[in-house]
Amino acid sequence: MFDFKPIRKKSPWILHYNAGSCNGCDIEILACLSPKYDIERFGVINTGNPKQSDVFLVTGPVTFRSRERLIELYTQMPEPKVVMAVGSCTCTGGVFRDMYNVEDGLDRYIPVDVYVPGCASSPELIIDGLVKALEILESKTKEIEKPFKLFRNETNKDGVVNRRNSALKVGEEIDDEEN
Amino acid sequence: MTTYSILIIAPLFFALAVLIGGLRVRNILTVVFVLVLAGASLINIFVETSTLQTSLSHSFHNLFILLDSLVLIYFLWQGIIKKHNFVTFFALLQMMLYAAVVFFSPSTTSSDILIDNISSIMYLVINIVGGTIIVYALGYIESEKFSRFKKNGFIALLFFFLSVMNFIVSTNNIEIFFLLFELTTLCSYILIAYRGDEISNENALKALWMNQIGGLAILIALIVSITQYDTVYFDMLISSINELYLLPIVFLAIAAFVKGASIPFDKWLLGAMVAPTPVSAILHSATMVKIAPYLMLKLAPAMSGFVSVTITLIGTFVFFSASLLALSKDYFKEILGLSTIALLALMMALAAIGTDEAITACLVLIVFHSISKALLFLQAGILEKSFNLKYVNDINGLINHSPLVVFFIVVGFASLTLPPFGAFVAKFMAIESIANEISNNPLYALALIFIALGSVFLTLLYFKVLTKLLAKDVSQEKEVHVHIPKLFTIPSFILLFLLIIGIYVIFEKEFLSSVQIFVPMILISVVPLLFATLLFKKAHRVKEYYCGEKEEVQLNMYYFDIPRNYKKVITAVAIVLIFILILGAML
Amino acid sequence: MIEIILIALAPIIGGLIYGLERVVRARMQNRKGPPILQPFYDMLKLIDKQAFIVNPYHSILGIMHFVTLWVVVAFVILGQNLLYVVFLHLLSALFLIIAGFSVKSIYSHIGANRELQAMIAYEPILIMTAVGFYMINGSFDISIIRESSPLLLSLPLVFLAFLMIIPIKLKKSPFDATEAHQEIVGGVEIEYSGIFFEFLYMSKWLEYVFIYLLLILFAGNSQILGAVLSVGVFLLVNLVDNSTARIKMKHLIKIVLGIGLTLSMINLIGLSYV
Repeated sequence: MFDFKPIRKKSPWILHYNAGSCNGCDIEILACLSPKYDIERFGVINTGNPKQSDVFLVTGPVTFRSRERLIELYTQMPEPKVVMAVGSCTCTGGVFRDMYNVEDGLDRYIPVDVYVPGCASSPELIIDGLVKALEILESKTKEIEKPFKLFRNETNKDGVVNRRNSALKVGEEIDDEEN
Repeated sequence: MTTYSILIIAPLFFALAVLIGGLRVRNILTVVFVLVLAGASLINIFVETSTLQTSLSHSFHNLFILLDSLVLIYFLWQGIIKKHNFVTFFALLQMMLYAAVVFFSPSTTSSDILIDNISSIMYLVINIVGGTIIVYALGYIESEKFSRFKKNGFIALLFFFLSVMNFIVSTNNIEIFFLLFELTTLCSYILIAYRGDEISNENALKALWMNQIGGLAILIALIVSITQYDTVYFDMLISSINELYLLPIVFLAIAAFVKGASIPFDKWLLGAMVAPTPVSAILHSATMVKIAPYLMLKLAPAMSGFVSVTITLIGTFVFFSASLLALSKDYFKEILGLSTIALLALMMALAAIGTDEAITACLVLIVFHSISKALLFLQAGILEKSFNLKYVNDINGLINHSPLVVFFIVVGFASLTLPPFGAFVAKFMAIESIANEISNNPLYALALIFIALGSVFLTLLYFKVLTKLLAKDVSQEKEVHVHIPKLFTIPSFILLFLLIIGIYVIFEKEFLSSVQIFVPMILISVVPLLFATLLFKKAHRVKEYYCGEKEEVQLNMYYFDIPRNYKKVITAVAIVLIFILILGAML
Repeated sequence: MIEIILIALAPIIGGLIYGLERVVRARMQNRKGPPILQPFYDMLKLIDKQAFIVNPYHSILGIMHFVTLWVVVAFVILGQNLLYVVFLHLLSALFLIIAGFSVKSIYSHIGANRELQAMIAYEPILIMTAVGFYMINGSFDISIIRESSPLLLSLPLVFLAFLMIIPIKLKKSPFDATEAHQEIVGGVEIEYSGIFFEFLYMSKWLEYVFIYLLLILFAGNSQILGAVLSVGVFLLVNLVDNSTARIKMKHLIKIVLGIGLTLSMINLIGLSYV
């Protein structure tokens, strides 16, 4: 069987999601795509579509309003996938840590592979993080990766995984944990 | 007894037979009768291949004159009691002209009945497609709130209509043609007004007076033909025609425009939508409007130069504008109606070009248009009866409730636009025959543009309608299927079968090579299924992407805002073109 | 034999053109750009990804689109009837459109509708081009068109009209509203993923092959002119792509139909007088 794993890191398509960021990191991510840094030379395309992406770039400290969408987008990404937390807020909550409407970092909800610090993280750092992420991507399997919260496991009789309702709304979370 | 007389006379008896009897007897009888008619039309094309000519005796002619007078008197009576000035006026005018025609009728005779290849093909269309629609009507009419007699009468009228249509495509005498033309007008008048409510009556009267204009045009053509060429027969008129004096041909062509509901005479066909759906189906596919291209085909050998170019231009212009106007419509039957108008105009344009290729294209289009349109109208009827839907925008995710109906609608639309179906072949040949003509007359380049644009607008129109049908709802696990009566689905299956036979015929007649038809068909159907079986098992099922939101979305169809004044401009242009046609032929 | 090899390799040739184009575009923007083989890396990666299905019809129709397009390219290479090829190409476009309508997704629907509208723009011009070839050679057969003397001289205006539709088919600015990656996330292709998206990705390459094969027909039997034309048009299309902004569908239809049809009609009428 042909080994696809080395190919993976040659064509990382990214999905960029702003989970309540101040837009500082977002601008830096866009700067990476510009002629000066040109991450397209690694084969990167900013798809904007979870179903065709490999790398999930998240910025922002994950606000209350954004977490359902975060999970929804995460479950809609096909495996193998890597998650990059870009910016201090996304890694730890940053200056927003312990605020009433903030979830203190991305890793409370979904497994994070690469943390890129900085407020805002510079394009060089992001590129560095991306290269790290690609190494991790190479070692991943096609096993389904689950978020820590707001997730329901479902397969039908034939063993086909049903992801249609796997991302839950916030209210539904409690029932699921009881089961 | 020859087959054509069976085809003409038998439906009259059938009509009487189905009038009496209960539901069961009537249904069985109807199916048998339809089989007889279809069989006779098949025998006619396969066994009696030669051209057939006969004359009718003098007493028949007197009978026809009597019938014609009765029909005209009935029109006059209807005009008076319904207080419709147009109908009264046209009926009176027709009476006067008809009297003149009968009075001056020349003594030269030719055969009254002439059955050639075109007639044989028309028999097939009328009896097989028309018969299928009658079978469908059996189920449909039972769900209406009519008395038993009126329900049976509906079926009887449809049989009568078939008889008239069978006669009209076998006659060679323009006087008899006029009588039958008026009889189809009468039939459609009664059928459109069948529900008896106010809108039905109004639209029936509209259909009546507009079709009377067609009758009038035939009478004028008759008078001109009698005075100039001293004949009332198609074949004599065509063989003795003088290229500089084509006025009778032009007036007959105008009669065809009226019957074919070409713009500016389009109102009556769109008004006919109020009738029960089998009426629309039979008017749009097998009968009535098909007189128009048939008449044009009959006249094609006599057309030349100016008349031919102008009729082609009118036809292609109407093809383009009707499909453009249909883009803003929402009523399913109206969309189908406007596309009928468009395609009929294309058929007439093709017939007017008159080259062998164009005439073949026209015939192919007649046959396949009627099958596809019948199929689509049957689905429109099913939507009305089983789902209570009339407007396309109300059809929300029909595929969740009835994949079969959606399948038929998709096939119906595809068969009008896409390879390898018959209508596509006609379009293909139309473009080829017009491309041949451009070097003779640059005006054909305009006709070509109209055809190219019109056909792409039609494609846009059909596939725009699919927007609402196909969107499958994946969040519900259980699908709620709606039961559709067998009498509705079986005729649709028959028409589907006819379409498939059509593909075979196209291959047989070598319009397209086997490589062109079968290789793509097999590849397109087999390879994806192969992949599907391999890939589907491992694939995860997901929802659509809504930017991470979880709310349900409501989908709507696209509308194209066609400004009101376009309609006026188009009508004005069409009227001007027709006047140019008449004036040009006079000078 | 060479035809069969060409048909088999058609997607790969298309992929190379696409890869080269990404490099050329990057160089025009003063960037380094991805390697030329980038499309193939993408392709192999997509095979490896987990596949998602929204509903079965949707996925099958995507594959049908790809197969039909391949058949179209094969027919062009084999020298079949040009008009038939144009209509078969329409069929492949319609498969994609039906696929777009078969899911309950807003972006997919908008994309499919835009594809339909774009069809209004390019379909008549493809037909006019075919008719232009027909009027000169008396046949729609591509094999005959290939053997005639260069047609560019007698069909210069039709050629200009054809140039206008290349950006529509290849989804290039200013006529790329059908895909519109930033507004409607790729339109029709949005719901595809993994190996199913692969088919759509590869049909994009086939689209390149199809368009450039049609373009070479303008050169007739002159291979040098064919090479010059394809390289020239390749550079021109990318230059225009890099230097223009996207225009709305409405303007797209108006511009392409208004200018393109007029040009080709003048050309055809002119031909009838020569």
